[in-house]
Amino acid sequence: MKSVYLLAPTLLLLLALPASSGRYNDDFDDGEDLSDFADDNDFAEFEDVSEDATAEPEMATPSRAAPHVQTAEDDEDEATVELEEEDGQDDGFEDSDTQDQDMYSKYDPDEFDGMEKPSPSLKDPLIIHTVPAHLQNSWESYYMEILMVTGLLAYIMNYIIGKNKNSRLAAAWFNSHRELLESNFALVGDDGTNKDAVSTGKLNQENEHIYNLWCSGRVCCEGMLIQLKFLKRQDLLNVLARMMRPVCDQVQIKVTLNDEDMDTFVFAVGTRKAMARMQKEMQDLSEFCSDKPKSGAKYGLPETLAILTEMGEVTDGVMDSKMVHYITGHADKIESIHFSDQFSGPKVMQEDGQPLKLPETKKTLFLTYHIIDKVKKLRLNREGKLKADKNRARVEENFLKQTHAQRQEAAQTRREEKKRAEKERIMSEEDPERQRRLEEAQMKMKQIKVKAM
Amino acid sequence: MSANNMTGPQRVNKIIRYKPPTTEANPTLEDPTPDYMNLLGMIFSMCGLMLKLKWCAWIAVYCSFISFANSRSSEDTKQMMSSFMLSISAVVMSYLQNPQPMSPPW
Repeated sequence: MKSVYLLAPTLLLLLALPASSGRYNDDFDDGEDLSDFADDNDFAEFEDVSEDATAEPEMATPSRAAPHVQTAEDDEDEATVELEEEDGQDDGFEDSDTQDQDMYSKYDPDEFDGMEKPSPSLKDPLIIHTVPAHLQNSWESYYMEILMVTGLLAYIMNYIIGKNKNSRLAAAWFNSHRELLESNFALVGDDGTNKDAVSTGKLNQENEHIYNLWCSGRVCCEGMLIQLKFLKRQDLLNVLARMMRPVCDQVQIKVTLNDEDMDTFVFAVGTRKAMARMQKEMQDLSEFCSDKPKSGAKYGLPETLAILTEMGEVTDGVMDSKMVHYITGHADKIESIHFSDQFSGPKVMQEDGQPLKLPETKKTLFLTYHIIDKVKKLRLNREGKLKADKNRARVEENFLKQTHAQRQEAAQTRREEKKRAEKERIMSEEDPERQRRLEEAQMKMKQIKVKAM
Repeated sequence: MSANNMTGPQRVNKIIRYKPPTTEANPTLEDPTPDYMNLLGMIFSMCGLMLKLKWCAWIAVYCSFISFANSRSSEDTKQMMSSFMLSISAVVMSYLQNPQPMSPPW
C-alpha cells in the first residue's frame, strides 16, 4: 500500500516534469494534451492550417524566436513561457505535420537558446568599399611610375647631350693641335689594328669620356700617348656628384723616351695636392724622392706649386729660366709634370705577395712636347751619376732580397717542369731506337752536370 | 707623311706601333663603376622578381642604364643587353603579377 502511495506522487511528478522542464520533450509527448490550449492562447489565429499553410511556419518561427529571447526568467514565468512555447511549437507541429518536414528542419528552436534578439538598428552604417586603384580608370594613381619613367627619360636625354658635348670638345682640341702634332711626329693617330703604320689622323675613342691619341716617329722619343680625360657628362649621377665637388677635364700626355736620350733622374713638379698624392701612389716617386715636396718659390715658381726631386742638382738642371717661364705662365693649368727613368706606373696593390721580377721600367716623361728636347740636353755630372746609380742599386738589392725565396721556388719548379717534359718526350717516342738514343743523351748530360758541380 | 720631311723632328724610321696598355698591369686604374652597376642591377632585378617588389625592379632598370653609360667601348655589348633585358623583365613581371600602382614609402 505504501508503495502505491509512493508511486502516485512520483507518477504525478513524472507527468508534471515533462510539462515544466525540457522543451525537448515537448516535441514528442504533448501533441495531444496541448491541443486543448490552442483555443485559449494568443496564437489562435494560427489554428487554421490549410489556409495559410506556407506563411504560418515562417510566422511561427519569429514568434518562437520572440519568447526564446527572454533571458531573465523567473520560475513562475517559466511555466507560462514554456506553455506559450509549447503552444507555439504545437502550432508549428500542426503546421509541419501537414507541411514539408524540411521547413521545420530549417529552423531548430533550440539552436538560439539564450541568444539576444538582434535589435534591428536603424543606424547600420553603410560601408562603401573603395575600388582598388588599378581598376580605376585614372592615370593619377600611377604617379610613382610616371615619376620613374620621367627620371629615365631625363637620364637618357642627359646621356645624349653629354656624349655629344664630349665628342665636340675632343674634336675641337684635336683640330687646334693637329698641326703642331703633325709637325713633330711622323705618325699621328694609331689604334694598333692596322697592318701598316699609317696615320689614322683621328682620336681613338675608348669611352664616352676618354679619347686616346698615339703619336710616334720623332727624334729621341719612342712615342707619345695623349689621353683626353673628360668629365663624365654622359652620366647623370656623375653630373649631380660634380655639383658637390668641382673637377676639371684633363689632358694626360705620356712620352716614352729612348734609353740613350735621358739620364737617370726622377723629378716631379706640380700642385701641392697632386704632389702629395703622387708621392704616395707612384712607385718611383715614393722610392727615390723621400723628402717632402718643397715649395716652388725657391726656384721662381708660384707658391701653389711644389717640387719632388731625387737630388738638388736635378732641380737646378731641369728648372732653367725657360722652363720656369713656361710653367709660371701656365701655372693654373698644370697639375703635375713628372720626369722619371724608373717609371712603372702607380703602385700596384699586391694581395698575394711581391711580384717576381722588377716591374718594367721605362724612361718616361709626363709633360708637354717642348720639354722633350730639353731633357735630352740635360746631363748629370759625375757625382750626380754616382749617386743616382747607388740609389738604383740599393732599390734593386732590397727588392731582390725580398723576393729571394720566391724566386728560388719558381726556379725549382721550372727545373722540375723541364725534367718532366724531357721524360715525357722520351716515353712518347715510338721508335725504340730513338728512345734509346735519347736516354743515352740524357745520361751524358747528367754526367756533365755532375762533373761541373 | 712623305719621307723627305727630315728637316723637322719627325723620323719615319722611328715609328713604333701603338700597344694598348694591358689592364692586368694596373687594375687599380680602371674605373669599376660599370662592373659594380652591372652586378647591382642583376641583384636588384632578382630581388624584384623573387620578392615581387616593384621598387627593386625600377632600381635595377636605373642600374643597368648607369652601367651602360659608363661602359668602355671594348666591353661586350651582350652583357649590357642581358642585364638590361633582365631588369625590364623584372619590371614587367612585377606589374603583371600585381597591377596596383607603387605606393610611396612615406
